[in-house]
Amino acid sequence: MPLLIDRQIVNENGWLLVEEAETLPQSADLLLPLALYLECGETLKGHKGRIAVKVNGDDDLTPVLESKDLFAMIAIEFPAFRDGRGFSLARILRRAGYKGELRAVGSPARDQLGYMERCGFNAFEFADEEFSDDFLKAFGEISVRYQGSSDDPRPVYLQN
Amino acid sequence: MYIYNEVDQKIVDERVEQFRDQTRRFLAGELSDDQFLALRLMNGLYIQRHAPMLRVAIPYGLISSVQLRKLAHIARTYDKGYGHFTTRTNIQFNWPKLEEVPDILAELAQVQMHAIQTSGNCIRNTTTDPFAGVTPDELEDPRPWCEIIRQWSTLHPEFAYLPRKFKIAVTGSPRDRAASQVHDIGLHLVKNDAGEVGFEVLVGGGLGRTPIIGKQIRPFLAKQDLLSYLEAILRVYNLKGRRDNKYKARIKILVEAMGIDAFREEVEAEWDTIRSSELALTDAEVARVKGFFQPFEYDASAAADTTLQGQLESDEAFRVWYERNTHEHKVAGYRSVVVSLKPQLAPAGDITDLQLEVVADLAEQYSFGEARSTHEQNLVLADVKNADLYAVWQKLAEHNMARPNIGTLTDMIVCPGFDFCALANAKTLNIAEQINQAFDDMDYLYDLGDIRLNMSGCINACGHHHVGNIGILGVDKKGEDWYQITIGGSDREDASLGKVLGKSVAADDVADTLKKILEAYVEQRTDEESFLECVRRVGVDPFKEKVYAVAH
Repeated sequence: MPLLIDRQIVNENGWLLVEEAETLPQSADLLLPLALYLECGETLKGHKGRIAVKVNGDDDLTPVLESKDLFAMIAIEFPAFRDGRGFSLARILRRAGYKGELRAVGSPARDQLGYMERCGFNAFEFADEEFSDDFLKAFGEISVRYQGSSDDPRPVYLQN
Repeated sequence: MYIYNEVDQKIVDERVEQFRDQTRRFLAGELSDDQFLALRLMNGLYIQRHAPMLRVAIPYGLISSVQLRKLAHIARTYDKGYGHFTTRTNIQFNWPKLEEVPDILAELAQVQMHAIQTSGNCIRNTTTDPFAGVTPDELEDPRPWCEIIRQWSTLHPEFAYLPRKFKIAVTGSPRDRAASQVHDIGLHLVKNDAGEVGFEVLVGGGLGRTPIIGKQIRPFLAKQDLLSYLEAILRVYNLKGRRDNKYKARIKILVEAMGIDAFREEVEAEWDTIRSSELALTDAEVARVKGFFQPFEYDASAAADTTLQGQLESDEAFRVWYERNTHEHKVAGYRSVVVSLKPQLAPAGDITDLQLEVVADLAEQYSFGEARSTHEQNLVLADVKNADLYAVWQKLAEHNMARPNIGTLTDMIVCPGFDFCALANAKTLNIAEQINQAFDDMDYLYDLGDIRLNMSGCINACGHHHVGNIGILGVDKKGEDWYQITIGGSDREDASLGKVLGKSVAADDVADTLKKILEAYVEQRTDEESFLECVRRVGVDPFKEKVYAVAH
């Protein structure tokens, strides 16, 4: 799956998405849906690889916020083009001080990348058939903005 | 009015190029219909019954002569020579070509205009009182606050994919001329016990399938907290609003489902965390924006005019127009003129390229180069000297914009209906024409007094039928147009939803039905009692009996 991190095309997606508790490998870098992560609890202690969680708009973010420093990556799912809950989730995580990778997964679209980046995403994962190199241009289309966001909390009038 | 700086200009210019590229990719097959749909809607572009429709933003209804002339040029060059003013105080063009829309947007950008967020599930054009800044009953000019909201909401990265569209209205007068109580958020400038001016905040009003009057979420909000509070409301809505059913996705449904108290609790918890952030408005920024809305340099000798009185006495037609179509001004010797876009023979809110230029000329010559659009689909020249009213009237009359019907039954709000709109169930323009023909006796209309008649061609209620003193809703029954009538609605400070009169009436019977309703009013009213007051006092029954009485 094509992946952009910090506006660069990245070929290696090191994360192993695990959907069931029985298949938990001991050493890989694991990406766990939030429900599964909470279910695993103690069994993850001593896990050798890194841990990431995947959340969506239906999830309660509280446990993620409480343990945010444990995650090297948090994936936020965009189940449909018009479902904008992930934009707010990203802002809440960044506001809470989450410094790790924030990745948009599901169906982030080229024309949403600029807004997603402003809300705090620095990584984007696409379906193979959807991605094109042209996507990199999407970030610079609007170079100025009025309101503060996760990229810069200052509104335009406080910037100079 | 607000004048763009380099940043404002860059945003609209870059947005034009962004949309040009989106259009190119769509036409090249690189963008799906669904994705382009959401993107074009956020730039005001619909696909309608006959052609695309482009809705151009007029922020809080304020427009300059230069901008009016550009709209005239666009109507003439890219459309069929006219445009249509909407209840969101925007203007729409009904016949542009999809591939020419980027060029139209580029032309608009030349005069500090755009179509950003005039549609789509995002924060729409903020609306206000068309007499803002000039009406004597005002506590404070709401327009600087509208501009502050405009900047905050424009291309807001977090709130572009909301569950549904989002509309904000701001008023500065206790008399509500912005229908603020049927907005997602209504903001009223009010004074608290300490004498400070801030905002009363209403949330969850709206029309459409489920009409609801907004509820007070906060009686008083300090001015510097305006944007943090709005952001808190929007964030809670973005996360919790329903996305499974577009008819239940507006914030009003969420507020109803949670209850206003639980909703307020969530909003205020969120607000607590962001209130002291950079969202807090600085005095310097508020002062900067207010600087664009300072009173004009009014002519101190305007009040000494003696010509108006003579003209009113000698010219009956002028006097009638003056009484109906002008509004008092806070500066002695000035009036605000309502330009009637409700002629006898053309659709409500429509305006030709020539008429746009006439209004531009009049604004330039007599009203400091500015005009306003109203949610009742008229225009306003807000600052006309008494001594100039006669000349303004003559010019407006020459171009069919001086019909002295403002506030009367024929000053109807009418959506374009089935003739243009892909959503409509029934026609509206033919019904409006029928009403105009049946009620052509102006003396009778004046005797009836103020009556707000609102008509929509479908349940989406773009014509605000629920809050008309008389509301007409077009419905489709087995392929035929029928019309459901409500009475007793109001979009003013005493906002209320109309009550259904009875079974719907056939298209041919609408005007006759209105005649019976008004006969009942004339029979029932006490001295000086308006139609709305009368309906509220006697209830729907006397009207129902009159309309549905079996002929003997």
